[in-house]
Amino acid sequence: MNTVQIDTGRLNEIGYNSCVASCGSFMVLDHTVMESHCNIEGLVVLPLKQAFDTYPHVREKLFFNVVPRDSSDTTLQAAEKEPVGYYVFVEPGIRIEEPLQAAFLFGETGSHQFIHNIIELGEGAELNIVNGCTTATHGRSGTHIGITETYLGKNAHLGYTMIHNWGHDMEVFPVGAVSVGEGARYISNYVGMTEVRKIVTNPAAYVETGGSARFYSVIFSKGDSYFDTGARVLLKGKDASGEIISRVVSEGGTVISRQLLSGERAGSFGHMECSGLLLNENGVIHSIPELRGAHPDINLAHEAAVGKISREELSYLMTRGLTEEQARALIIRGFLDIKIEGLPDKVQSFMDEIISRSVEGSI
Amino acid sequence: MSFLEITDLHVSVEGKEILKGIDLSLGIGRTAIIFGPNGSGKSTLMGAISGLPGYEITQGSITFKGQDISRLSVDERSRLGIGLSFQYPPAIKGVRLLTLLETLNRQTPEKITEYAQLLNLTAYLDRDINVGFSGGERKRSEVLQLMMQMPDLLLLDEPESGVDIENISVIADGLRIILEKDQPISRRKRSAIIITHTGFILDYIKADIAFVIMNGHVLGCGAPGEIFEEIRRDGYSKCSSCFAEKFCEEYKGAL
Ligand SMILES: Nc1ncnc2c1ncn2[C@@H]1O[C@H](COP(=O)(O)OP(=O)(O)OP(=O)(O)O)[C@@H](O)[C@H]1O
Ligand SMILES: [Mg+2]
Repeated sequence: MNTVQIDTGRLNEIGYNSCVASCGSFMVLDHTVMESHCNIEGLVVLPLKQAFDTYPHVREKLFFNVVPRDSSDTTLQAAEKEPVGYYVFVEPGIRIEEPLQAAFLFGETGSHQFIHNIIELGEGAELNIVNGCTTATHGRSGTHIGITETYLGKNAHLGYTMIHNWGHDMEVFPVGAVSVGEGARYISNYVGMTEVRKIVTNPAAYVETGGSARFYSVIFSKGDSYFDTGARVLLKGKDASGEIISRVVSEGGTVISRQLLSGERAGSFGHMECSGLLLNENGVIHSIPELRGAHPDINLAHEAAVGKISREELSYLMTRGLTEEQARALIIRGFLDIKIEGLPDKVQSFMDEIISRSVEGSI
Repeated sequence: MSFLEITDLHVSVEGKEILKGIDLSLGIGRTAIIFGPNGSGKSTLMGAISGLPGYEITQGSITFKGQDISRLSVDERSRLGIGLSFQYPPAIKGVRLLTLLETLNRQTPEKITEYAQLLNLTAYLDRDINVGFSGGERKRSEVLQLMMQMPDLLLLDEPESGVDIENISVIADGLRIILEKDQPISRRKRSAIIITHTGFILDYIKADIAFVIMNGHVLGCGAPGEIFEEIRRDGYSKCSSCFAEKFCEEYKGAL
């Protein structure tokens, strides 16, 4: 049995706090579900294995479906393991305002953690999930592979926020795919603010008629971190829409930022914006925006820019009496500031706080 | 020694000499106007006084409050009491105007609200600095920022250009507060240098002297109203006061 002391400070940093009001919570330490509860009628939060017994369709229809078992070496590897993770289900028509909290902790040095989560929202259901991933204490090394399959029924709405706060010897491979039903809305927020050895992730959303998928990511790369992150929005249905916004600040390491928007039916539209800010000569930002159109009646566009803080903006703020450090912090903080429509205030202000702390910590 | 004393100032931009020996002084509580054709070096002078990068002082000196400031950084000069209203204020995406005003931390929240109201900028506090602001809105935002700072030397680079008549009077209200124009001259502690092409600002703010800069030199001095009339009537090339450098000495004595 595991005897790792859980560092509650780190849990707070990723937004997991058992005392804060939330509709439910779920926590895994290494390979063991430590906490799984749910306070609301119409919401199911269960360890995945238990869900297989209670709800047969989960194993039969949802498990390794939107993420195919053989989609990569990572998934093949994961498929051989006992699935540890959550099954979250919201009944049709139930709208839940308080966010559901989930945390994945890593405690054992040198081990591999495999997580498999399944999220299912019934027609018209609404939920916000704040997922935090962290090492339970500093200085752990290992690998985390996390598969998340999400199924949104007609007109459902899911806000999915992921805050990574890994120790810097971790290698992390989140694999995610979302099936966005007719008229459904999916919002993903990714916040990566700490040094990490390697993160590779490129989730996909398949969007049906009238649905929308939006991916926002904010990354602050430090030291010799390696991020290969992205998002793919595949607009399958008519009038489906997508947005991908990524902001990367680098003071070291490598960030590869991949975005794909693909429109296949009439009326689909999408917009993508990737901006990178290099604070010195130690980092690399490689932005790869891709647009793919397979129907003439679509509207897809992108903006991309990589550069440094403008001297003119710095001087402007300094004429007001700010020191160079203060001016830089203000500009970097502003650059990372994305206000996300449809995100509960609580989640937004929590994200804001993490980003501010990270910017202050580095300047 | 005057409040501001500029002596034989030479300034180069990207290796090219723009200011070629400027002499200019200004007393405490005084307001000076600068006239001069496009490209004559007016903004360059403002940039050199405030210490903006790119304006290299190759000769001469700038003393402010008795201290040579020509080696100080922009923010050091700002904290010493120099404030600049830009001719072309840049936009800063992501930084809300209110965040900047609060970060400056010079005025109470009540004052921020009051001054924003005065400048009709209440609705702009939550917007990113100058992003999507019209020309006139940017100029008002400059004045609002300066009201936080309350600088002892106010450098105003065409504060009224692109601003409609009503808003010029709004801007002037703000500037008069900074410059304590309601006080008798002997009590005023703040000075200003104002660049203007239109002279509109003169209708609202009384100035003590005007300097004419041409081709990197101060070529004339005089009473602001008179010089402006002459420039309007005869143009820069034929305006005799514009070339009356000898009067500058007399005016200096008066300041
Ligand atoms: N960064 C620069 N690079 C090259 N030349 C410059 C630069 N900045 C200023 N100059 C030149 O210096 C000269 C003076 O410019 P300045 O902006 O000081 O003029 P000004 O008197 O303020 O004109 P205006 O009335 O048009 O604002 C101009 O010829 C201008 O082209
Ligand atoms: Mg100018």
